Amino acid sequence: MNHPVEILGFAREAAWLPWAVQYFFLIGISTAAFFLSLPGLVWRLPAWQGIGRRALLAALVCGLTAPVALLADLHQPGRFLNFYLHPNLGSWMAWGSFFIPLYLIGLLLYAWLCLRPQLAALAERGGQLSALYRRLAYGGHDSPGAIRAAAVVGALGALLILLYTGMEVMVVEARPLWHTPLLPLLFAVSAVSGGLGMVGLFEALIGQGAAAPLINRWQERSQWLTLGLLAAWLLLAVSGLAASPADALAAMRGSLGWLLSAAWLLGTTALTLWLARSRRDVLLWPALLALHGAWLVRWMVFMGGQNMPKMGASTHIYALSLSPDSVLGIVGMAGLCLTVYIILTSIIPWDDRAEA
Amino acid sequence: MSSHPDLSRRAFFTALPAVTAGLAVPAQAAEDSKPHWSMLVDTRRCIACQACTMACSMENASPEGEFRTVVATYAVSTQEGKTGLAVLPRLCNHCEQPPCIPVCPVGATFKREDGIVLVDGERCVGCAYCVQACPYDARFVNHHTGKADKCTFCSHRVEAGLLPACVETCVGGARIFGDVNDPQSDISQRLKAAEGKTRVLKPEAGTNPHVFYIGLDDQLSGRVDGVSAADMMWRPGHQGG
Repeated sequence: MNHPVEILGFAREAAWLPWAVQYFFLIGISTAAFFLSLPGLVWRLPAWQGIGRRALLAALVCGLTAPVALLADLHQPGRFLNFYLHPNLGSWMAWGSFFIPLYLIGLLLYAWLCLRPQLAALAERGGQLSALYRRLAYGGHDSPGAIRAAAVVGALGALLILLYTGMEVMVVEARPLWHTPLLPLLFAVSAVSGGLGMVGLFEALIGQGAAAPLINRWQERSQWLTLGLLAAWLLLAVSGLAASPADALAAMRGSLGWLLSAAWLLGTTALTLWLARSRRDVLLWPALLALHGAWLVRWMVFMGGQNMPKMGASTHIYALSLSPDSVLGIVGMAGLCLTVYIILTSIIPWDDRAEA
Repeated sequence: MSSHPDLSRRAFFTALPAVTAGLAVPAQAAEDSKPHWSMLVDTRRCIACQACTMACSMENASPEGEFRTVVATYAVSTQEGKTGLAVLPRLCNHCEQPPCIPVCPVGATFKREDGIVLVDGERCVGCAYCVQACPYDARFVNHHTGKADKCTFCSHRVEAGLLPACVETCVGGARIFGDVNDPQSDISQRLKAAEGKTRVLKPEAGTNPHVFYIGLDDQLSGRVDGVSAADMMWRPGHQGG
């Protein structure tokens, strides 16, 4: 029998809009940046102290903005209250509504404890904001024990965020591209790449670039892992060892869009790897490419995964438009990140001189 | 005598005078056992007229372009070159193990004792997790309400002793609705008569659907490895002109 021609098909449009891509992108980067701040700010390793400060800034910028994208996807932000009034604890998404505040409370407490001595020093300098700095410093003590305790809360929250964001998507059997145990790993590894990218970007903007070799060494490792996970998925799909990857590959077959997207992802990942490996002192390009890669993985998984028909042959290809749910939303979130970055860097210096 | 109303199309029309006389059929039912509503779709009787699609849209005030039920239509050719029409009326399968329920973060989706899967609109947050989890693409986020929407088997009509709108309007009698717990109901009789010939969509998903099909073409029961005419057609909005 020949392939049927669908004369009248009904494809559903994407239900998770670019808000989902942005949330997973930003929260992943925030958690990865939080972990990158630990060696410098908790264990006080000299080589990591500059990175630690920029990583803390990245964790704050992305962590404070990510939930905004999530709320926007609910169509009516006040609905988030139902997550706490009627939680269904069998759902990963319900657990996420508890993990997000846990992580953010841990992150904010950790950031405040790390910044207290600096806030006290800023208060000492005088100026219009000195009263505010003094109040925020609350004595200005450096409390390594308290920092460690807050870091434990933040780390627990960050690990649970990485777990739930991966599992929430992985458990959806109806989407063959999502239903693979490799997905949580891919999200976590690409979050680390993106986190390193964001820290590298901030290092290039406000640091002295001394940490470039260290960042690039870790970037190289994360890109190898990304390539390894993509290869493992392809192996599972081609060999037919796992049904869902095989189904997803069958749905992609013959699609020029998927072919070009996959080639672009592999090409840019390889380029990021090559730059991080062979240009250890260069910060900006590997950083931007890594951020691009972390975004692309999520865009392909979410928007591409929803393009694959569950029933019939029709696809409802998502196309960017100038609507608040689309390009304007993406630009708006980027603007929000920039605003938070400007506010934080205006109030507190994050460069190495401030540390000294 | 059956303890539940036989809500098949034929039985409905037989009982119509009684209904119009104000003797609602459900009122006669003695509650010996609970009903379990299901649907049988005989694709051999479907002519793809989309009357069900329209009746559902009118009954449930679905937003433009969003449908709770549809009839997907295919041209299927044999190796000998003969081409024929194949249809697949689709709706919520009111599964026995609905994958949409466990994922809902606020417990807004639930299954009633009578087998109907519903969404509590007061509780739904519009996160669309259930939309992703449904293997049958039966759910969508309603543009008007911003909440999950799907076929309810027209529960408001069933509770009033009426048939779902799609069943009532079907010109070929392709949709048979009724109580599968009642052995005397038309749907039970037809399922028994067609034993071994009925199919469900995506049985491998393990959802145990309660929408059954007679005459379902195997290659149409999930993602179809074929082409969509929509991709081949000239569309002014997309291609200009």
